[in-house]
Amino acid sequence: MERGRSRTDGALYVRRTLRAGQRIAHDGDVIVLGDVHAGAEIRAAGDVLVFGHLRGVVHAGALGSEQAMVCAWRLEPVQLRIGHVIARPPDAREEAPGVPEIARLEDGQVVIERALGPEDGRMARG
Amino acid sequence: MGGWPVGEVIVITSGKGGVGKTTTTANLGVALAQLGMKTCLVDADIGLRNLDVVLGLENRIVYDLVDVVEGFCRLRQALIRDKRLEGLNLLPAAQTKDKTAVTPEQMRQVTDELRQEFDYILIDSPAGIEQGFKNAIAGADRAVIVATPEVASVRDADRIIGLLEAAELPPARLVVNRLRPGMVRKGDMMSVDDIVDILAIDLIGVVPEDEQIVVTTNRGEPAALTQGSRAGDAYRAIARRIRGEDVPFAEIDDRTGFLSRLRRIFGQA
Repeated sequence: MERGRSRTDGALYVRRTLRAGQRIAHDGDVIVLGDVHAGAEIRAAGDVLVFGHLRGVVHAGALGSEQAMVCAWRLEPVQLRIGHVIARPPDAREEAPGVPEIARLEDGQVVIERALGPEDGRMARG
Repeated sequence: MGGWPVGEVIVITSGKGGVGKTTTTANLGVALAQLGMKTCLVDADIGLRNLDVVLGLENRIVYDLVDVVEGFCRLRQALIRDKRLEGLNLLPAAQTKDKTAVTPEQMRQVTDELRQEFDYILIDSPAGIEQGFKNAIAGADRAVIVATPEVASVRDADRIIGLLEAAELPPARLVVNRLRPGMVRKGDMMSVDDIVDILAIDLIGVVPEDEQIVVTTNRGEPAALTQGSRAGDAYRAIARRIRGEDVPFAEIDDRTGFLSRLRRIFGQA
């Protein structure tokens, strides 16, 4: 299975903040312990988890997996790609709610939902 | 903060052009010399030299940086001593060559030689991330990033900070240049807090937009030379912070946010 395959390739841990112009590509899941700044790019065959503020461009399931997902403490990407689907945040959406969120595909559409309840999430932002 | 050791090489850089690297270099040089520091400014913008003009020293250039690395003259012969201010010196760039006329290794040799004689060596970096930038940071111990409150400038600064990290320089410090507090209050301009939040580096100073800068820059007399301009005061404060003094940020700085205060407490985000 697509998802299982990406898992066996192992996760890449990135223990720093990615700045503009920096790019990570990995044939599996990518876990960032830091922020992903606008202008930075992550391309992963599997899932992308950002323990920080995601403001760059992320492509999860870059080999075509529709099961891949993107999760971030603050999910505010310039552009989000999952599998073959490309999404950008709606113009109306001013700011992320300040709670961890997950983006995944549902019927070929990118949907974003809270990863935690609002009470838990309040701690994520000072 | 214990202050930086003597003979320190500091590169002034930004990525984007036109944000005030050269003006900042000139004014910080003046302000450091006013503090009694032996200071040498190095114009690393070969082929597009400006620093000599901003300092009003253009007509005194005989030899330049390229002449030094090519062995046409000794380093001492190329240095121009500013007669208005004891301790301020300039190593001008060549106007006729381009960035490839100097290698990072040669740059390092020049800065190491200057280190023997000066307390502070400030390198005025060219815009961009190519050869000229690599030359400018080659011999540097630290970097000061100049950014204006514009998205493009902040984005380029972020890129530069990443490159400086890759070059294993210690965390750079940020000068926010040409801030207009009135516009920030109205929400028409990024605030210092916004910029510090995006870049996640420590602030070293905020320079307000000041028409006086345009006048003094064109006249070849950096604002910091004379008292009484807001920008000049800001540069003098930055110079003291470079020396390790704890200079409080004035009201003009417009920075009272929680995040940046946290960052200051912990030193680095």
